[in-house]
Amino acid sequence: MNGKTGKGSAYGWLLQRITGIFLAFFLILHILVLHFTKDWRIDFNLVTSRLDSTGWVIFYLIFVPAGLFHAFNGAWQVIHDYRPKAQAVRAVKTLLWVLGIAISVWGYYLIFTFNKGA
Amino acid sequence: MYESKSGFFRKYKDALSLNPNVGTWAWLLHRITGVILVLYLFMHFLVLSSSIGGEGSFNAWLSKVQNPVFHLLEIGLVAVVAFHLLNGLRITIADFFFLTKPHKTIFWIAMVIFVIFLVITLVVFLPRAFSPH
Repeated sequence: MNGKTGKGSAYGWLLQRITGIFLAFFLILHILVLHFTKDWRIDFNLVTSRLDSTGWVIFYLIFVPAGLFHAFNGAWQVIHDYRPKAQAVRAVKTLLWVLGIAISVWGYYLIFTFNKGA
Repeated sequence: MYESKSGFFRKYKDALSLNPNVGTWAWLLHRITGVILVLYLFMHFLVLSSSIGGEGSFNAWLSKVQNPVFHLLEIGLVAVVAFHLLNGLRITIADFFFLTKPHKTIFWIAMVIFVIFLVITLVVFLPRAFSPH
């Protein structure tokens, strides 16, 4: 690792691993429930019946930002390896944070579009 | 990481020729699967966004992505997820428990689990891809 971006990079390293451990559990559960059960043909009613339960809503409320953080922080690590200049670092970091938060909010909104239909 | 010359793919070519070990391949594959998963995540959110149009719009979109071609692509997706997940756990275990020395052994253990995951996925997903709708 280079020292150019200085402090803060260790948090990125640590959070990538913490979100990664969470995602390992979430993703296995997510794929098992959606693709390894008898109801493998997915439609609106199947999703709304699952999202009727508070447990599943909480599951997705954690899953969505954890996944997006991991995705964008990972993308940052790839970009960082190309040694961007100081101004580019700030611009890209800002862009990734804005995108990550915006898509998280969008994801939260989508969770509740499945609640109304039930 | 070492200092690389210019070029988008150059650093990967250099890394593999300077250090042609399992760890370098694992690092490269982790990166490739990671990029695929970020792109998939965007598509996933895009398809799910059809729910703002209600039940009809959601079901119309979901029927478009539930056909033999997509069920076959899903096998690839599960493989990509499984590799990234298992190799990610290997990295985390090596980092947190000071197990960087046996990282190659842990990699091969992860790959045995990967193959088991893949076989189970093929058994479940292949008949689905060819079952009538």
